[in-house]
Amino acid sequence: MYKFLIILLFLASLKAAEEYQLGEGAQIGSLPLYMGGYVSLDYKSAENEDRYRIDDIAVLGYGGYDKFSYMAEVEFKKFYVRTYSSEYDNTSHNTRLYLERVYLDYNLNENYSFRAGKYNSPIGFWNLLPINVLRETSSSPVSSSILFPKFTTGLGLSYTTFGTGELKIDIMAQNNHDLDAKYNNYEVDRHYGVGLTYEVEDYTYKLNGGYFHKDNIVNEPIYYMLLSAKYEADKYQILSEFGTQTSKDDTATDYAGYVQAVYRATEQHIGILRLETYDDNVANIQESLAIVGYTYRPLYPIAIKSEYQFHEESDLDQILFSLSVLF
Amino acid sequence: MKRLLILLLLATLSFASEYVVISNKKMKDLSKTQIKAIFLKKINIINDLEVIPINLGTRNDLREKFEKDILKMNFVRLKSYWTKQHYLGHRPPLSMKSQQSIKAFVKKVDGAIGYIEKSALDDSVKVLYQWGD
Repeated sequence: MYKFLIILLFLASLKAAEEYQLGEGAQIGSLPLYMGGYVSLDYKSAENEDRYRIDDIAVLGYGGYDKFSYMAEVEFKKFYVRTYSSEYDNTSHNTRLYLERVYLDYNLNENYSFRAGKYNSPIGFWNLLPINVLRETSSSPVSSSILFPKFTTGLGLSYTTFGTGELKIDIMAQNNHDLDAKYNNYEVDRHYGVGLTYEVEDYTYKLNGGYFHKDNIVNEPIYYMLLSAKYEADKYQILSEFGTQTSKDDTATDYAGYVQAVYRATEQHIGILRLETYDDNVANIQESLAIVGYTYRPLYPIAIKSEYQFHEESDLDQILFSLSVLF
Repeated sequence: MKRLLILLLLATLSFASEYVVISNKKMKDLSKTQIKAIFLKKINIINDLEVIPINLGTRNDLREKFEKDILKMNFVRLKSYWTKQHYLGHRPPLSMKSQQSIKAFVKKVDGAIGYIEKSALDDSVKVLYQWGD
């Protein structure tokens, strides 16, 4: 029934109230409801294994009235995966529908905004726009998934002030279980964090810090800190995030980060170079890698990407292709 | 020669266009940074009023000047910005075909904010910001 309603709502969005533009969703009749979604398919070829995947099929809905606005998103993750090598050939289907985001915002005035629900933790830059079609490469930096909980279920507060530049303070507070713990990189029952963002002209600087506690595991809380910077001009973007974790147990990540340069030769043709380094004590991996990528966007909401990853150990090198669309 | 240069300078200045960001008279004074934030939908409420930014149509010359001088973003960058905002649950501003429509809308609707050429200005609306070529 749940899935049927989602499909019905999406079909209803095809009868849009305004002229439809790909990548901007559509209003449902005259309701305060806009619907959209995204899909992504990818292919990975490594030395020992190849993989085809329909990774994301997501539907999102949002709208607002007066000082209130809302967002909800559900998603099929790893919907179809085929992994094969000379020794095996495995196929898996995952038809579980995950609750990715659902939240209500209240904009008190031009400075203060409150949020309740499950939302992308406002930490760094990558975590706010994590889906394939919106990021510059098929892969995400390792640092974006090992330093902090990607999602927070609880309350949020943001304060913004406008002077020469824009100064924003974000506060995240979770003291409960995740609304859908299977859709988060950490299963947490506690997460408190604060972020400071300063944007002036083409430059944005961000500092985040906080701590979280893993759900159902009796262990020490993990403290994290992330420092991020972005330079964005019409042709170029340079983005960097570096962070660290600390904890009384020895599973914390000592450091993880990346620097990424993007060159937009034209509206359609984009070149990317990313350098990453990390020391993950959970997976017990310490390495640096370089990623060279090319993205073709016939229209901005359609991305056809390729990338090559050069790892310190060359047998970990891999090539990735993906096709993703936001509608 | 000096006179000729002065005449040329004056002639150039007389052809330089000026533009204004306008609102209903009830709107408080706003800085350029706040105007930018309103057109990027980072500010939605001011003085308990919903703010309604109004653009001219896509590829309109004055809109391109506004986006270049005030928002400091070109068409491609704005297109990617609004695609990302769709994922975050925000819509781009409404657009209207003419400066006359914008002026009439801004005059009638509290919280509305738009931009027109200074030559089209009258005292039915409030000037929030002025810039020129």
